[in-house]
Amino acid sequence: MPGVIVFGELAGDDLHEASLEALTAGTLLSAQLGEPLIGALLGENARTAVAGFQRGTQRMLLYESGELRQYDGERFAACAHRLVMDSGARVVLAAHTIQTRDWMPRLAARMDAGLVMDCTALAAQGDALLVTRPIFGGSVLGDFTLCGTPMMATLSPGAFAPAETIAHCAVDAVAPVAVPDHGVTLIEEIAGDTGDGLRLQDAKIVISGGRGVGGPENWHYIEKAAQDLGAAVGCSRPVVDAGWVASRHQVGMSGTTVAPEVYVAVGISGAVHHLAGIAAARTVVAINTDAEAGIFRRANYGAIGDFREVLPAFVARVRELRGD
Amino acid sequence: MQIVVTIKQVPDPNFPPANVKLDPSGRRIGSPMGVPAVMNGYDANALEEALRLKEQHGGRVSALSLGDEACRPVLKRAVAMGADQALLLGDENWLNADSGGIGAVIAAAVRKLGMPDLVLCGRQASDTDGGQVLFRLAHALGFAVITPVSKIESFEGGALVVQRQNGDTVQRLRVRLPALLGISSEINEPRTPSMRGLSNATRMRIPRWTAVDLDVPGLSARVAPRGVRVIESSSMAELVEGDSGMQRGIALAERLHAQGLI
Repeated sequence: MPGVIVFGELAGDDLHEASLEALTAGTLLSAQLGEPLIGALLGENARTAVAGFQRGTQRMLLYESGELRQYDGERFAACAHRLVMDSGARVVLAAHTIQTRDWMPRLAARMDAGLVMDCTALAAQGDALLVTRPIFGGSVLGDFTLCGTPMMATLSPGAFAPAETIAHCAVDAVAPVAVPDHGVTLIEEIAGDTGDGLRLQDAKIVISGGRGVGGPENWHYIEKAAQDLGAAVGCSRPVVDAGWVASRHQVGMSGTTVAPEVYVAVGISGAVHHLAGIAAARTVVAINTDAEAGIFRRANYGAIGDFREVLPAFVARVRELRGD
Repeated sequence: MQIVVTIKQVPDPNFPPANVKLDPSGRRIGSPMGVPAVMNGYDANALEEALRLKEQHGGRVSALSLGDEACRPVLKRAVAMGADQALLLGDENWLNADSGGIGAVIAAAVRKLGMPDLVLCGRQASDTDGGQVLFRLAHALGFAVITPVSKIESFEGGALVVQRQNGDTVQRLRVRLPALLGISSEINEPRTPSMRGLSNATRMRIPRWTAVDLDVPGLSARVAPRGVRVIESSSMAELVEGDSGMQRGIALAERLHAQGLI
């Protein structure tokens, strides 16, 4: 009876919320394959997350060690390898996170296994899995067949509803693994560079400018609008390439991924590269002279016209309505 | 320092993805028609970083690409930027391998060239966004791997000190060479080829290796594409009305405010 093993992730002592979504995907496959669902937790205080992660699992495996306090990809992969081996599972799942996108490929390489990351759908078909994941910056879905043993996948956050049914199961701690020196040592872990102004990734509102702004001499329209609305300044790649704006403002595939309540795209055409960075924006507003611009397909609201007229009027009216 | 840089040719990500499809063999994702091919952005950052390390510490930079003949312009560009040699891994069978198979082929090529001190890869490719080949390659070579790297601080005593982006934090790590680094775009701005570089690229012969040149056992294809679906959003933004740009700006503000959005 091989099984489906689902790794939960700890954020401090709490369970990463996407872990319960991964459990839903695991429940689905476990039913389709007629094999048990096994939960797995690894971390310094893995035990603290057991109660929250027992949702439909028939068994739970723990790897608890102070050595897991700081993230080390090789160590995580080595410990996860032990958990997978002990479980006997032939399907290995985890939420797609900053950590799993590093240690799952290491584990797949160790086990010489097929891995598909950031899946939005998966299903069993015979001895294989059919999986779907976004490619080309999220504008195209790729369907893949995954086979071999084990079969591994990480699941895109938000693609599955969190598992709800709470049911207690047996919990076993696995024996520790000795991780040999792999040539990498952590000197220190420091808070990320925030730069000046509002952090793009934290901003509730982002005002972002593209090539359609026309030139660096017009960039003050974007900055002024952002300042007046308490927004962060973003931009598309051509604007950085042209040297109008510092690269830390770049939103998109090779820049920052943002998740604001409102994203205002000014003079941005909507290239793949850019749309990849705003997939999580709740509302997208486009201001563009070109009614055919691709951005209007992604945007929820739009205004066609010269941003030099539209944007200042927009900002002034928002401030009136807010009572600023 | 002997450095190998892996380079992938990708469709220019500044174009809309309308024509992405499987190639006639049905086994790989074809290039969208009419979209120019460019060097993967992160790979350009990796090459730039390799050239800077060579300028500081001496050595040699080799650029490798796995693909068909269409990859040559991207390898030429690598030479024009300053790579000392370039190599095309161009066996038809390799094109259908998954990331495990591609890692195995590149590892065999790296071994044949002579084990380097450092392999630099882009953190991921902008077409498939897989981010796996570098791990498979490092594993096959027995190298430590760190990704995504946003800065190389120093090289001393056979080890590099690098900065790794770890979500909201940055890890400063010391890594003993040989090693493989996945390079992120924060690290540098890739150079534009010089006239001399362009002239070198015109003259340099770029060899192509096939299965005859490399001993790669049965290629892994545990992940195989079945199809691609372009997400054609049929939806259109709700466009605000107004006789002038100013009026449309005001209407937009009122619409968003009525929705409680701003």
